[in-house]
Amino acid sequence: MCTPNQIVVDIFSPFQEYINSEQDVREEIRKIMKDIEKPLREIITVLQVIHHEQNNGKMGEACMRARDIFEEVRQGYDALDKIVPPGQYYRYNDHWRFATQRLCFLAALIVFLEKGILINKETAAQILGVDNKCNIHLDLEDYLMGLLNLASELARYAVNAVTYGDYQKPLQISKFVAELNAGFRLLNLKNDSLRKRFDALKYDVKKIEEVVYDLSIRGLTQGSCPAEPTN
Amino acid sequence: MSKSRGNRHRRGKPAVGDNARETVENMDEQNPVLLMFKEYSSQLDDKHDRYERIVKLSRDVNIEAKRIIFLLHNINTDIEAKKKAVIEEADCRLQALVSNSFKAIARELKGQDGYQYHRAYSNGLQEFIEALTFCQFLKDDSIEPWTAINDSFKYHDDEHGGYQLLFPQYDFILGLADFTGELMRRCINTLGVGNVSECFKLCNFVKYINAGFLGLMAPGNKELSRKAYVLRQSLAKMELVCYNIQIRGSEIPKHMLISVIESTDVNAEEDEGYF
Repeated sequence: MCTPNQIVVDIFSPFQEYINSEQDVREEIRKIMKDIEKPLREIITVLQVIHHEQNNGKMGEACMRARDIFEEVRQGYDALDKIVPPGQYYRYNDHWRFATQRLCFLAALIVFLEKGILINKETAAQILGVDNKCNIHLDLEDYLMGLLNLASELARYAVNAVTYGDYQKPLQISKFVAELNAGFRLLNLKNDSLRKRFDALKYDVKKIEEVVYDLSIRGLTQGSCPAEPTN
Repeated sequence: MSKSRGNRHRRGKPAVGDNARETVENMDEQNPVLLMFKEYSSQLDDKHDRYERIVKLSRDVNIEAKRIIFLLHNINTDIEAKKKAVIEEADCRLQALVSNSFKAIARELKGQDGYQYHRAYSNGLQEFIEALTFCQFLKDDSIEPWTAINDSFKYHDDEHGGYQLLFPQYDFILGLADFTGELMRRCINTLGVGNVSECFKLCNFVKYINAGFLGLMAPGNKELSRKAYVLRQSLAKMELVCYNIQIRGSEIPKHMLISVIESTDVNAEEDEGYF
């Protein structure tokens, strides 16, 4: 017959130790995430300049500045790589999933502003500093979530670009988001959060198309950009 | 599922809004965005397919474990030989689960981060622990610690080398909490056949486990506190049974006690169905 002591010693004490050590790891991770979330917010603020006024010089500056701040993010992920035990990325990834998605979005926005192309997963991982790490990596779904966030931001960008007289930008954005949309339609999404977020993409697409429609119906789409009359 | 997926591919160019359609029609197969997404698509499919395969295996485990529990509940006869035979059969079927279904899950997880797929088989695993601990308890009046069970999930074969099923301690403790529900049911059943000493034994054992749960410090684990709550409810029923035996045991024949208790407020409510 089991004695009460035996049950506690054999069954519950090891479990309590297990919980305690897990809590310790989570505490360390939470500390690191604070160091990652601070530069994350700074980058968001810096990049808001795209909604203010058209000034390509300022935009380039903002991208440079954002890339500088990403250095802090990379240091944070470096520290995270040392804390997460091998093969347990998904045990703890609740802590950094949301921040990683936002950072993917920001990296994608920077690459779009600089080159006008869609960031691929490797580049995103490099900018975040999670490439070639032992214990952490960039989860595909986090990266895809970041791209969907990018589409929403670009829908807003298209509206504001028209406000300050850049009639070319919405066309570029429209083509870019249409390609992104076509890409997402190649994926077989399960009924999960990514699928729900993807379902909202069509509203962004619609918003951007409305902007393009408003421009084209007024003949503003070709060579009539007041900010750059030569174009 | 595969059928709908086939349809999606056959549809060819994806359907988009009017303005965007032009863009998409101008995209050729070599478009870098589409090429990129084709690769991501196969990665996602691979993950989802593996997940679904594990869910299927886990469901098999779940059903078989429930059947084993049902089988074990039938040991109410006092014939020692029959009891032994039932436990042997249950043991055998539990072993079969370890060496078939769980081995298949472990093989799916080999080289993967097990935690990514843990949710797919956590239910089956907990149900299995419930059956296993129930069987162990009926056999030896005690249960094995986590490490012993974890060792049984280590596999080795020539083709794949050594590998192991990820068995978090949470699943063990949560399965253990479910197991106390079975003890409660057994307590009521044994009372029905008039086996009073067994009732006290079962009740005491659940008391020990409850003490263990009360001593845990696990902040923010909802699943754990929910199960601990159910455990306390089961225990309250059993304690009431023991109380009734003690106070009225001499008044009426033992096999009549069950009707007395059922007429008070102990209804052995099923928290889950059998298959």
